[in-house]
Amino acid sequence: MLKVGAALLSFVMLIGLWAAPSVLAGEQPRRGGIFEVALAGDPPSLDMHQEQTFMVAIPLGPVYNNLVMFDPHNYPQIVGDLAKSWTVSDDYLTYTFKLHEGVKFHDGSEFTSADVKASWDKILFPPEGVISTRRANYEAIKSVEAPDRSTVVFRMHHPSPSILGNMAHPANFIYAKKYLDSDVHYYKAHSIGTGPFKLKNYVRGSNIELERNPDYWKKDLPYLDGIKYYIIKDTSARAKAIRSGRVDVEFRGLPPTEAEGVLKQLGDRAVAAYPKAISNWGVSINVDKKPFDDERVRKALSLALDRYDMAKTVGPLTGLETVGALMHPDSRWALSSEELQALPGYGKDHQANLREAKRLLAEAGYPDGFKTVLTNRNVKLPYIDLAVYLISSWKKVGVEAEHKVEESATWSQTRVNRDFELLVDPYGSATVGDPDELLDKFVTGFSENFGRFSEPVADGLFKQIQREMNEQKRIQMVKDMQKSVLEKMWWIPGLWWTRVEVRSARIRNYEPQPSHWMNRRLEDVWLAEK
Amino acid sequence: MWQYIVKRMLLMIPTLIGAALVVFLLMQVVPGDVALLILGSDQGGDVNLAELDRLRANLGLDRPLYEQFFSWLWGIARFDFGTSLWSGAPVIEELWIRLPLTLEVALFATIISTLIAIPLGTLAAIRQDTWIDYLVRVVSIGGLGIPAFWTGILIILFLVIYFEWSPPLVFVPLWEDPWENFKQLIWPIVTVGYRNAAVAMRMTRSTVLEVMREDYVRTAWAKGLHERMVVIKHTLKNSMLPVVTIIGAEFAFLMGGLVVTETVFTLNGLGSFVVDAILHRDIPVIQTLILLTAFVIVFANLIVDLVYAWLDPRISYR
Repeated sequence: MLKVGAALLSFVMLIGLWAAPSVLAGEQPRRGGIFEVALAGDPPSLDMHQEQTFMVAIPLGPVYNNLVMFDPHNYPQIVGDLAKSWTVSDDYLTYTFKLHEGVKFHDGSEFTSADVKASWDKILFPPEGVISTRRANYEAIKSVEAPDRSTVVFRMHHPSPSILGNMAHPANFIYAKKYLDSDVHYYKAHSIGTGPFKLKNYVRGSNIELERNPDYWKKDLPYLDGIKYYIIKDTSARAKAIRSGRVDVEFRGLPPTEAEGVLKQLGDRAVAAYPKAISNWGVSINVDKKPFDDERVRKALSLALDRYDMAKTVGPLTGLETVGALMHPDSRWALSSEELQALPGYGKDHQANLREAKRLLAEAGYPDGFKTVLTNRNVKLPYIDLAVYLISSWKKVGVEAEHKVEESATWSQTRVNRDFELLVDPYGSATVGDPDELLDKFVTGFSENFGRFSEPVADGLFKQIQREMNEQKRIQMVKDMQKSVLEKMWWIPGLWWTRVEVRSARIRNYEPQPSHWMNRRLEDVWLAEK
Repeated sequence: MWQYIVKRMLLMIPTLIGAALVVFLLMQVVPGDVALLILGSDQGGDVNLAELDRLRANLGLDRPLYEQFFSWLWGIARFDFGTSLWSGAPVIEELWIRLPLTLEVALFATIISTLIAIPLGTLAAIRQDTWIDYLVRVVSIGGLGIPAFWTGILIILFLVIYFEWSPPLVFVPLWEDPWENFKQLIWPIVTVGYRNAAVAMRMTRSTVLEVMREDYVRTAWAKGLHERMVVIKHTLKNSMLPVVTIIGAEFAFLMGGLVVTETVFTLNGLGSFVVDAILHRDIPVIQTLILLTAFVIVFANLIVDLVYAWLDPRISYR
């Protein structure tokens, strides 16, 4: 009798174990609940077109739709959002979008192509008094037309391989024409969109509250009742808010040590993701200041860095852990390992690199090194930690760099005024890291080229890169451009950043993407039972 | 007395204008401006110089300095405190969001610290060199030596690690939900109150000791009066002048100086707001907050002076 009972029990357990994964995999979305997010600061205003910070993109992403967007579940594919479909002319000069019908704004008014045109005209051709911070990304767009209520046509100056990705930038919210017509700054203080959530309340310095849009045009969405963003300026306080369960997630990323603390405390109640952000921290060189006008000196500074050791040392502290050139090392634009190691400072024999660095400095007239100043921002992670490593590395070749730490506003001014010799200088992408977005920094005369160097080969290649529609040819041009900049070390790459996003294990149907700007709509995210 | 009060209030005006002018000039000297930060360069992002110029023009930063200052001053005269360059919201609106929380923390911390400090300081004095005195001195030195924010960090860590609990993140006024308000503010009030109590405790102890050595107190003892009568009626009131001064000064400090405590406890108060305004170079906000702080300090000093008159009938103001 006992043997039969045991056999039956085993059989039941086996059935249970077999069925459990199937049940979890087929988990049904659960409606309801308030999703709570820790946010690092206030949006300066609510108008994403005029702002440059994730502190707008994250809380207001759920309030709007874009024309096209990056697929939240299949990065980096681009899918239609308000656009149902689109066609591209054979010469790549005309993009025709067909829009969804029956879409309404939160005030009940109907969405049409006129709203898309008005929003994009504001981005591309901002009226007097309006800022459009990303306008330069769309220089290829000539005009936007709305021939009928559900069609929008974008006409281009020239073919642009990056334009669709740029248009899918999360910041390109579609606003209502009628409000833009009444006051071009309307959206600085108001939020009326077509998105899955509506703005319910905003207390500056405290919280932003969104509520479900029951009339959302995507059927049966959203699942959540609302989203609440708590403004918590201190990084450690944000981590503690996750640990205590006050919030479900921190979308920008926590330092590795804080993330570790959260995971240790919450165990399987928390999940960590390590998206490889498209952000690099490197060093800008003011090439008008001696001795940095000498290519040998610039190369020596790069040769003095053991980037592989740097990744191991500063990576656990800062998330700066991936060695690469000017394009993300995991992307199709990256240099191969052989190509990379041929560049100054990327070879694996660090002792040989140090010898070469000293030889170059002696040849340039600095056999005993020299003194310089590395200007930096007073933010520990990763600016200060990275700079400490850089300075200690340069000491090995006799370059004594004074670490001049400046408060953020001062550092910003220093960058723009070029009042530096060496400058810790990050750059990156909020989307997919297209060469048009990342490599303009290394072009003569562009505002982000803080060192003001000029490499004609790079300039010529960039112009072609912006127009080349054949991807293989474009990839080669991108690689050549990287080499042209780095062979003369006009800018010293540091490391690429991996961010750590820790979230509650209750969150379902959500995958973090490389950039903390991306996948913030949350229209099909739900919360499992506690 | 009323003449004195009115005279003091009027004398405040040049003080406040002077403070605002100094701050305005200092902010012009410091590099960086709000336009650079709005365009995201604080995120390490790209700065489009053409957009930067447009934004500076929009914000009026390209106007002559004297025009900027006097335009703001003229607004103050009409009780228009201007608009935040960072958020575009009226400064008074921004202040009003944060003032109740800061006021509540400052007020309750002051009350609690006073209620603790005066009795304990007095007890330590009248039981000098006993275990009570030593205990009070250790507690007060602890409060002086340990920074309030560090105590706050320890409290938060303890609550988070051992109870997986942290205070609520949204301020609810006391009159709306006292329990929710209590949960959020009790810890910062206790943290700051402990530090303030330590200061007042030591001052109370030393002033009570000093007054107890006066002839009239010795006479009171000699007359055979009960200890309670000697302490409360003859000693305490005469000891309170310096203590009241300290309490007034500490309260004024609390009205804008709790930056780190607010950061630790995630409080949306005036302290962190003024720091944010400075980091953002939000000049209208900074100037208004400086005005407010100066007003609070001057007003607190006035209250202290009036309390002096109540404590010591020999003092009168014209």
